[in-house]
Amino acid sequence: MKITSFIAFLVIVLSFTSCIEIIDDISIKNDGSGTLKYTVNLSSSKIKINSILALDSLDGRKVPTIAEIQENILSFKKALEAKSGISNVLLDYNFTDYIFKLQCDFTNVTVLQTALKEVIQEVSKEKNIPELEEIWLNWDGTKMVRSIPEITVKKTKDFKQEDIELMKQGNYTSISRFERTVDKFDNASATLSKNKMAVMIRTNPYALTQNSNIIENTIYLTPIKN
Amino acid sequence: MKIKNIIAILFISGLANAQKSEDLIPKDAVTVFSINNFNLLQKISLDELVQYEFMEEIQQELFDGSTSGKTLKDSGIDFDQKLNVFYGRGEDHEVSGFTFGIKNKENLFMVFDDFERIESPYPGIEYYSSYFNNLIIKGNSALLIRVEPTMEKVDEMTDSIWYSRGNENPWYIDDYIEVPEENEEEVFEEEIFEEMEPELKPESNYEFPEAGEDPTQKNYYELRDSVQSIMQTQLLKELCDELLIEKTNLLTYDIRFAEQLTHTSEGIFYLDNSRSVQKSQGLWYFQTMFPSLYNDMKELYTGNVLLGDLLLHDNSVEFKMEARYGDKIGSIYEQMNDSKFDKNVLKYIHQDNTAYFTYNINLRQAYEEAYKVVMPILTDERNAQISANVLTIELLNEFVNKDALFGTYKGSMFGTFNGIKKIKTTKIEFTYDEITYEYIEKEVEAEEDMPIFTIGFTTERGDIPEKVLNHLSRLTSRFQNMGSYWIYEDAILDAAPLYMINKNGLFIFTNDENLAVNHTNGFGSSALSKKEAKKSKKSGFMYAQVDWAQAIDRFPKDFFSAEQNEIIDAMRGKTGIMELTTTKTTKEKTNFNLVYNFGGTYDNSGKYLLDMLNSLYVISK
Repeated sequence: MKITSFIAFLVIVLSFTSCIEIIDDISIKNDGSGTLKYTVNLSSSKIKINSILALDSLDGRKVPTIAEIQENILSFKKALEAKSGISNVLLDYNFTDYIFKLQCDFTNVTVLQTALKEVIQEVSKEKNIPELEEIWLNWDGTKMVRSIPEITVKKTKDFKQEDIELMKQGNYTSISRFERTVDKFDNASATLSKNKMAVMIRTNPYALTQNSNIIENTIYLTPIKN
Repeated sequence: MKIKNIIAILFISGLANAQKSEDLIPKDAVTVFSINNFNLLQKISLDELVQYEFMEEIQQELFDGSTSGKTLKDSGIDFDQKLNVFYGRGEDHEVSGFTFGIKNKENLFMVFDDFERIESPYPGIEYYSSYFNNLIIKGNSALLIRVEPTMEKVDEMTDSIWYSRGNENPWYIDDYIEVPEENEEEVFEEEIFEEMEPELKPESNYEFPEAGEDPTQKNYYELRDSVQSIMQTQLLKELCDELLIEKTNLLTYDIRFAEQLTHTSEGIFYLDNSRSVQKSQGLWYFQTMFPSLYNDMKELYTGNVLLGDLLLHDNSVEFKMEARYGDKIGSIYEQMNDSKFDKNVLKYIHQDNTAYFTYNINLRQAYEEAYKVVMPILTDERNAQISANVLTIELLNEFVNKDALFGTYKGSMFGTFNGIKKIKTTKIEFTYDEITYEYIEKEVEAEEDMPIFTIGFTTERGDIPEKVLNHLSRLTSRFQNMGSYWIYEDAILDAAPLYMINKNGLFIFTNDENLAVNHTNGFGSSALSKKEAKKSKKSGFMYAQVDWAQAIDRFPKDFFSAEQNEIIDAMRGKTGIMELTTTKTTKEKTNFNLVYNFGGTYDNSGKYLLDMLNSLYVISK
């Protein structure tokens, strides 16, 4: 065992303090088009991630190299770019602090959901994922109904105890932005920005797995002034 | 002669002639565990017993409900005889099993209820068979044995017969027919492969050998099964002939084993390293390409054997091990371990450590002796490749400054694990603008857990590593000379610094900031107590101590293989201090003593014994 692998092994085995931050940020224009920004910040856990990456395998599975992770990220980007109605796909990854950012423009929310569903199916090579059929984003020009894709909840429910600890200490931030001001919203834990054009809900990933409705919100906008 | 004396003599001679379980251990056994104090196991349930890895060969027979709710006491086993578990590996086969005494045959067959009696080829011997296992009963002792030819040998034999019958390559498919996508058969095969472990998946997924046109002719797989079965029968016959007709067993074959069996400890252990090395499959290339060199190297290992005793005391378990060497290897070990203890290392071991070791060897002397022993063997080999290697070694021996080399790295070292500490690191935080909820990244200070370790080497040429460090510091600003220590920024997992201390005849690597910044001359009064230090000094070439309570329980199962977990499971939940000491090494042997001291008493001493024996079995297999 190489010394780096040995140290890495000790870190993984002996440390459990690490956390994850996710920001899920959607801007919707009045015509229904918009921009999705999805950020995963693992910088609080970089020692643990470096430890894992220094090992050849973990839990009986091969640990991917950074090059392999980059390759997967790029294939995700390529697949998303190929979807009709999706443009300006940007993927930014930082392997020093472990921050990954996805951004793309979409012509309407249905296009976004279909594109994401198809890309996930292509990347995961699973043709039948029932959770992907669910509509988690709805926009009718006056109100937006959003929740969290059920697949996220399903996947996180399979996590092990150590990962659950990690999720409890993490943050999940959901932001919805609009071109006009927000009139009202359903979710009591949501907050409105001072310019009244953005709504934010903050929770932790673990709470989300326990109650996926925690982030569900119907946001009503003020009428468009002619 | 008084009648009492006559009875006594008759009783003793009767005992001497009585069949004992150890007489049935085959000569091919390379590793043996003998449980002397078998009475300890009376309370162990059979279901619990068959969970152990050393029982894996008979698990299929015993996991059928026949053991449910029964203890070993109900199994008809004679607790006055030893239980001997063995394993051996030949060049083309493996042998495993165990021998034990029988008190009540009826009860025994209620447990071994899948065994069927078959005609015995040996007079006075009862023969039973079940799947791959064989139960052989001689008098009041039994041998449960499985002999398996290696798959390489079976394949070799099968291929030979297959081709000699004029068959084509079994893996070649002449006319590949494209199967429609929705073909059920393909989906079925695909599912089978999906469920298989990656390493077991055939490289070419769908290229199974096809069945022959003539149904009376065996296809490749049928032929291979037959070959395996015949080889198994032959190997078993050879082994039984040797054991039951020629009366050659491990006791008669190796006097050291016979001597070890006379010990009265709870359990004994035997591992013939020389045979283990000789039969190692990894040496087949060596053996084929350089047979005379292989024989000479084999001779080097002759006499290498590990003998052990397991003792259960009131508050400790003790494992005594004696590593015996042949003359040549022994002379190398003797020179290697002839080293003065470096007292400086003790200053750098904190009294509150979780685990530490000291390792004290003389690499220079070991090198000189190994050169003397191994070079004549290599020089005798008439082979261009070996000859070129010999010349290279001889030239290096002449040209390399051995004083500088072995002065820099003398061979002695120490290591400590000081638990977990928070170390300073940075992380990215997102801060939100209250007006728009736009966010920006900001680097902030953070803390993460890091195991704190120190590894140090004895050196009398501290100037040489200093030269290397100076050079590195010119190459990158991450290397900095801080006066009394060096720092290499972000060296550990790109997040934490590594400190290097080059002082007091030691070159130390550590991530313990406290040691580097405040204690470059050692921990002073916080270092190991005199009593603890004395233990290290008094031990031979090695000393180690681990606080299991702090260490083992934090090891999650997922990170280890099944074999490693067997060992960890044996230790899990047990608190106390484990200590390894060694004696001075002589040409003939080194003694190791591993003592596990714990608080309280045994809940079940038999369970402890089995845990330990199973751990040893897993390690040595």
